[in-house]
Amino acid sequence: MTEELKPLRTWSHLVGQRRRPSEYEIVSVGLLWHARGETVPFEVEGASFMNDWVMRYRDNSAITHDDWDSFRDPDELVYRTYNILQDGQESYVDGLLDQYDNEGHDESLSGAWLDVLEALYTPGRYLVHTSQMASAYLVHMAPASTICNCAAFQTADALRWVSRIAYRTASLAKAHPDRSFGESERATWENAPAWQGYRELMERALVAYDWAEAFVALNLVAVPAISEGYYRAMALSARRNDDTLLALMAEAALRDGDRARRWSQALVGHMLDVESNRAQLQEWVDAWAPYGTSAIEAFAGELPDVPDRAAAGSEALRRAHSSAGLATSDG
Amino acid sequence: MALLERSEWYDIARRTEWTPGYVSDDELYPEGHSGDYDIPGEAWSTYDEPYKISYREYVDIQRQKDAGAYSVKAALERMDLRSKVDPGWISTLKLHYGAVSVVEYNAGLMESRFVRWARSPGMRNMGTFGMLDEIRHAQLQLFFPHEYVPTDRQFDWAHSGMKSNNWGIIAGRHFFDDMMMTRDAVSTSILLNFAFETGFTNLQFIGLSSDAANAGDFSFSKLIQSIQSDEARHAQIGTPMLAMMIENGEKERAQRLVDVAFWRSWKLFTILTGIPMDYYIPLDKREGSFKEFMQEWIVTQFVNSLEDLGLAKPWYWDIFLADIDEHHHGQQLGTWSWRPTLWFSPAAGVGPDERDWLEEKYPGWNDTFGKCWDAIIENLKRGDIGRTVPGTLPIICNMSNIPIRRTTRWSTTGGSTTSARSPIAGSSSRTRSATPPTKRSLIACSPARSSPPTSAVCCSTWASACSATAVATPTTTSGCPPTSRVPTRRRRTDRWQHSHSR
Ligand SMILES: [Fe+2]
Ligand SMILES: [Fe+2]
Repeated sequence: MTEELKPLRTWSHLVGQRRRPSEYEIVSVGLLWHARGETVPFEVEGASFMNDWVMRYRDNSAITHDDWDSFRDPDELVYRTYNILQDGQESYVDGLLDQYDNEGHDESLSGAWLDVLEALYTPGRYLVHTSQMASAYLVHMAPASTICNCAAFQTADALRWVSRIAYRTASLAKAHPDRSFGESERATWENAPAWQGYRELMERALVAYDWAEAFVALNLVAVPAISEGYYRAMALSARRNDDTLLALMAEAALRDGDRARRWSQALVGHMLDVESNRAQLQEWVDAWAPYGTSAIEAFAGELPDVPDRAAAGSEALRRAHSSAGLATSDG
Repeated sequence: MALLERSEWYDIARRTEWTPGYVSDDELYPEGHSGDYDIPGEAWSTYDEPYKISYREYVDIQRQKDAGAYSVKAALERMDLRSKVDPGWISTLKLHYGAVSVVEYNAGLMESRFVRWARSPGMRNMGTFGMLDEIRHAQLQLFFPHEYVPTDRQFDWAHSGMKSNNWGIIAGRHFFDDMMMTRDAVSTSILLNFAFETGFTNLQFIGLSSDAANAGDFSFSKLIQSIQSDEARHAQIGTPMLAMMIENGEKERAQRLVDVAFWRSWKLFTILTGIPMDYYIPLDKREGSFKEFMQEWIVTQFVNSLEDLGLAKPWYWDIFLADIDEHHHGQQLGTWSWRPTLWFSPAAGVGPDERDWLEEKYPGWNDTFGKCWDAIIENLKRGDIGRTVPGTLPIICNMSNIPIRRTTRWSTTGGSTTSARSPIAGSSSRTRSATPPTKRSLIACSPARSSPPTSAVCCSTWASACSATAVATPTTTSGCPPTSRVPTRRRRTDRWQHSHSR
């Protein structure tokens, strides 16, 4: 009644692969038991909230692929390399903060630039937090663990910058107690015209329930729009207004954005294995890109000394779409 | 360095709630994900996580922890585990990895649901760290056992197990889908973080860690200690939520969530932890009995934390206390008997010295469970192996999805008052059993949304009625009890997956 099964050199699902599996593959591939192709995802009654939700917005997405598990993160990040990488990056940021603090940086900023920081920098923790939330949606809705992992590290990256913005907010409040740092950000986020493009984009992206549409809205439009406007245009404006600390921090955030772009392009490429996915992806890009360009224009248009950044940001967004293999939208 | 203290900026980082202007609140936080608890808008922002950490600290500390865990593994790499440790310990490892590794990963998905759907920004941030923690636990517990696959096929279950339709796996999957994957964020933080993690994971991770070190498996010991240090942090996600529910008039629902999760967790851990601790781990390596760990971690510590919050012990407490003495002994008889259905080779663990130990730890063991083993041993001595392997399948509880068991001790000590035990049978509310469930047990053991798993195990008789003949030749009933619910999927024949490599 027993049959002897031969030992395997790796997990049974990886034995077909000619190459010796990497640590990344050993620990990252094929971990969703609820995406194993059964009629309903979860072992609970068929007609229940989460079964319905996941079937509708993941399993019956307009974007299809018969082997989602074959997606690979181009950076092949695993948990421990993520921490090694980001611990180094955070040490760099700590070093910046320490050095500029010693130089009396916050006290040296001009009144006009402090106005800009109040209006356009510190309210950004709300923006970045919405991308934290939206990235987390992809973590539990993506159809393969290799996609979930990329989204999880992206979620954590967002918390990283929410934290750093909060840190800077507290520093600025300490140096300039007469100003409204730490007090006025919510009202600014909710009401100031400069933020309404981003806010509309993010709120809508948060309720794009189809996981693939959520991915398009977030990773092909919102994350690049945040990079181009909130970080890149801001960095340039900051440098031109003697806020080198902010310029360097924003550029550090852009490195996380570059990683997001790499896996996003890889996932679009994976989706385009199936030619019939192209039209739907294009339709979503065309529908979402205008929110992205409006957001960049409304925001960057108010930054001092960067008159060309609004147009350049929108152009960068279009380039991101073409380099992902999709046609550029007219925005 | 002239850097700000965390406390100087921490509150700003968790003040991120805003009023949506372009979509509705219901779209942003649908009830099914965010809960329908009657907690006013402002109250959500008062959520205050007791254990605070920043991203900057997190990546530093976790990098160091990983460096520790992986270096122990590297140092012990060339040690051939199988030649160094007892086979009972190997079985413990296989059971653990098959039931835990991939579950950890999906616990990360649960944490990511907090990040998206929780109405408290502090909980969203803690969920982010919790999500990373669980990815860590999955990756560690896949990387470590992967090393053993080339010498032992059964370790493949660390990766593939959770997708199988093995009966034990279905029980686990139904538990986690019900408690962890499919409820709203608020309820989940009570069910999983508070009841399961602050209560029961200590048993597995602290209890087994000392056993592992005693058994000579230092890399596993170090590994699960390191994992537990993360659990100690993110397990606290549910506690402030529980306090908030109680403050806002939701105490009754909070209590009910605790009652449900506690009962379901208890049943699962009788197999996952109870059996290895009292039967698989070599006698001289045991740190304590399962019952002793239960007394320390659950009966004392967990109850303290419940009472601190103003909640009561679950209503079935006395039944649970009696169950600590018995339940896992029955499951050990069952799992050993149905050993061809397991992905590990279970130790019987009932040699003369082990029996003395069991009798000392569980007075009365020899006269009850011991008698069942006498019959099995008799059969084995006669070479009648066939009589030790049941030809039919056990009755599976339709809620806990583990075999229903009953001992003669019940009928002697319980006698005609078997109804006093009935909530246990009641956990299988939809399965007809020897002891019909009382109405109360039906209500309390079957939370509204606990339904049978969609991958139904075919029900048939478990030889749990602990008489010698029953063990050796189980009586059979055919098909499923008429009261059980029809599963949503059709029954299949490949349900009992075997994993032999003996
Ligand atoms: Fe964990
Ligand atoms: Fe956990």
